Amino acid sequence: MSEPRASGYFRTTYGRDLALLDTRAQKAWLALLCASLLALPFLAGAFVLDLANQVLLTSIGAVALMLLTGYAGQISLGHAGLLAAGAFTTGILFKEFGAPFWVTLPASAAVGAAIGFLFGLPSLRLRGLYLAVSTLALHFLVLHAGQEYETRRGFSTGVVIDSPIQDPRAWYFTLLAAAVATILFSLNLLRSKTGRSWRAIHAREAVAEALGIDVRRAKLSAFVVSCTLTSIAGCLFAYYRGFVSAEAFSLFVTIQYVATVIVGGIGSILGAVLGTLFVVLFPYGIEALMRALGLAERLASVVFAVNYAAFGLAMILFLVFEPQGLVGIWRRVQAWFLLWPFKQRPVGR
Amino acid sequence: MQLAVNIAVLAAIYALISCGYVLIYRVSRVLSLAHGELMMLGAYGLAATASLFSGHPLVAIAASIALAFLVGVAVYAALMWRMTGESVLAAVLATIALGILLRGAMVLAFGNQTQYPLQSLGWTNASIAFGGSARVSAAGLTLILLTAAVYAGLFAFLRMTRWGIRMRAAGQNPLLAAQRGIRLHGVYALAWGLATLTGGMAGMLIACDAGIESTLVTIGLKAFPAALVGGLDSLAGALVGSLVVASAEVLLIHFVDPLLSDVVPFFVLLAMLAVRPWGLFGTREELDRV
Amino acid sequence: MKKTVLGIVLAAALPAAAQDAYVVGVSAAMTGPGAGIYAPVVDAMKAYLDHVNARGGVNGKQVRLIVQDDGAEPSRAAANAKRLLAQDKVVLLINTSLSSTYAPMVAEARRAEVPLYFGGSVCPKDTYPPADPLQFCSSAFGANLDSQGALAFVKAQAKEPVRIGFAAMAIPIARAEIDYAEGLSKTMGMTPVAKQISPPPAPDYTPFATKLKDANPNWVFSWSPWVSQVRTFEALRRLGWSGRYLTWAHLNAEDELARIRDGEFYVIGTNALFQDDLPVHAEIRAVTHRANLKYPVTYLTEGFIAGLVIESALKATPWPPTPKKVLAAMNNLKVDLKGLRGGPLEWTRENHFRIRQHYRVWRWDPAKNAIVRVQDWQAIEVKR
Repeated sequence: MSEPRASGYFRTTYGRDLALLDTRAQKAWLALLCASLLALPFLAGAFVLDLANQVLLTSIGAVALMLLTGYAGQISLGHAGLLAAGAFTTGILFKEFGAPFWVTLPASAAVGAAIGFLFGLPSLRLRGLYLAVSTLALHFLVLHAGQEYETRRGFSTGVVIDSPIQDPRAWYFTLLAAAVATILFSLNLLRSKTGRSWRAIHAREAVAEALGIDVRRAKLSAFVVSCTLTSIAGCLFAYYRGFVSAEAFSLFVTIQYVATVIVGGIGSILGAVLGTLFVVLFPYGIEALMRALGLAERLASVVFAVNYAAFGLAMILFLVFEPQGLVGIWRRVQAWFLLWPFKQRPVGR
Repeated sequence: MQLAVNIAVLAAIYALISCGYVLIYRVSRVLSLAHGELMMLGAYGLAATASLFSGHPLVAIAASIALAFLVGVAVYAALMWRMTGESVLAAVLATIALGILLRGAMVLAFGNQTQYPLQSLGWTNASIAFGGSARVSAAGLTLILLTAAVYAGLFAFLRMTRWGIRMRAAGQNPLLAAQRGIRLHGVYALAWGLATLTGGMAGMLIACDAGIESTLVTIGLKAFPAALVGGLDSLAGALVGSLVVASAEVLLIHFVDPLLSDVVPFFVLLAMLAVRPWGLFGTREELDRV
Repeated sequence: MKKTVLGIVLAAALPAAAQDAYVVGVSAAMTGPGAGIYAPVVDAMKAYLDHVNARGGVNGKQVRLIVQDDGAEPSRAAANAKRLLAQDKVVLLINTSLSSTYAPMVAEARRAEVPLYFGGSVCPKDTYPPADPLQFCSSAFGANLDSQGALAFVKAQAKEPVRIGFAAMAIPIARAEIDYAEGLSKTMGMTPVAKQISPPPAPDYTPFATKLKDANPNWVFSWSPWVSQVRTFEALRRLGWSGRYLTWAHLNAEDELARIRDGEFYVIGTNALFQDDLPVHAEIRAVTHRANLKYPVTYLTEGFIAGLVIESALKATPWPPTPKKVLAAMNNLKVDLKGLRGGPLEWTRENHFRIRQHYRVWRWDPAKNAIVRVQDWQAIEVKR
């Protein structure tokens, strides 16, 4: 299903056609990537390890959003609400019933699926802006419910959760496994009937309906799958941070996730990963830049505002000048290497 | 009676902010989620001009209004014109990103402290009594009168002046309007300028009432359901929607639970989206065109 | 010191630089919501410690204060804490941020067994006796104690039966306090007539104030971020309510009293006002002027107090410092606050808040056109 990269590789079976990797070079690169990912916790310091953990955790939510917005084309501004739902489910079950993680994880997934269904219902009637607005409204409602729980039950500074995993290295491998599982699951789903129906309704809904695709089912399934994944990410988030509080799930979090999708490049799982790297590492990059420019002392007390402004500026620049996102840049770089010494792809490809 | 006054003031706030959303959407089909930040920028503008022209409050106000208009036009000229023709999501995200940029820039430029432009202007927010037991603040009364004036002015402008008719034409069918010789960029810039002007005035009045602080931006977001309930491309709808949302809020605060006032606008919004997504006075085609 | 992202990977293998100073780390809400009350604290703290360094430092060594901004976001606070503890190897961790950042920082501090000091942020109940071994607090606010002090004042001042109303912002800490105050008022013979909770981004406080006014209280007590307190008051006045309003004195209380100019607007607090013109106030002015801080000097008392506390704690920590030694010093600390509060700040193993909390009450006197003190230091013992 993926584009053949080089000549000399013939696909003689359906299995070979469906495989994710074709060439020896691709397999070699993947092996290298796996090796470095596995070796990272042993080579890197605590700070980098924490960053890596954050990236992995965020990537799960980003991939989920990419499925919904990038592939199925349903705009959702309620992402933080879904994360909050998963986190609060975990928190509530832990605090009220002392539930262990093999109960809270499926429970979060179930809650995510239910809320996803709810979020998805407006999508049957609405499109574009109106859908975005309805998901925004639902986001505020979920947060309000979370805050009410916090106040009524007396957890004014948040719900503290005992995590079964404490060591950052253990977390790294857990989150790596979760992220890889999510990506493989998504890739697989996209190649299945559901994924194809999503792509169809994204491209031209009327035509998809005419072709016999159940548009309602496709939309709802997109929401349910995406929200379930996000809710699981929320549950992991709750355990990773060791606590849950409503302030951690503001509208800005949603915007950051949407930024991962946009900056990464719509319609590409790789884009979700690249976008996540960008969004998580961006503030630290800005700080490093400020220090390099010698502005650190002067702007020390407003570094967050600088971050904020720079983030907005970066998003605008991407939207205006690079609508295909980081994936577009990646593909251009890749094409340059693949095609060298030629520049253009041959006509017809 | 006091309840009616409270509803009127709150509805005036929401209406003044919503007409900015409606103007931009109606003319260029872009949802500007940076409106809250532009409101706050208007309020800061007033604080700046008030200290610049200290002693001449009327000059300061006039200057800040003109400044707000120019900022709106500048926003269009710098960013939004590039987004015409792009997908809906991209344009909305561009406004969100712009809002983020503005918020960071405002903190850098003006700092974190609450500022009180009314003090710099040298006026006080007196309390005016009428109707027996009801009272309203001077700022509140000004809001109500100003909103009425703004809406009347906009209705007249859109219906009777050349540029107003051009704006309506561009909103209805941009391609046809362009082919007819209407300069779309000019019309869009004008829409952004007017929207930022009205939003800025709302921000200034709220700041006169209560000072400038970061919650001003969230108020901009709360007014958004009011615009949607009435129909995103109808000014009359914005008025009615603001009244509906404001009444729901004030009555719920008084008779049920004050904490609900935070989520009531969104409840109303969801109810409206479920029943009649295009709003009370919006045009139905909007839904399918997106 | 912080390093670039690339440099971190390389430097991670290198050994940490030898510490020749007392290294202290702060995670603060320098920007984001609430920055207006936390950023001045940190800046004043830093200015004071720079001043101490200029005078020769503590025990002959310099104090290095590393400030990380968390924007009141819990995730960032956790990351900051990890960074400060693992990379910078601080011997004392400080939190000057919103209460949502407490849990992650407490967890990190526990893991590293480093004391966590809340300097300027609302004191968690864990610092009250019996205190959590690692959590300390010097901030002015005292949950439950503030209500006790306030209601005691109301009772002392009232000449007729008290009908008291309550107002708070819809954040859990303020709501909990107001609920406590409501219950307490009943035991003190007052009649609570109304309790209004207003959500933070309210465009108009009049609807909430309307409900309060309709209940016709003669006193109203509010304990919240300043914006909610003052706007509820202004709305009440505009509605024609003429009762007395008692509220917590935040950093900006002194300036706000002068702006509001209402004779029945009382503020209760623990920090002396600059109008007292004590010698320490001149010291604050000098120190912060040298550091070129852009806040009004009246905002800086809390941060200065935090600086004094840090200096005292580190002075009692013999060189070379370890977190355990700092903890031991803090478990038995008495800081002379030079009149900035009603008494010295005293910490014991059991009590990481203070032994006694002193309250003063002020109001604006329209006749004298100045702030007058209505009640001098009243002490409340902090017990279990």
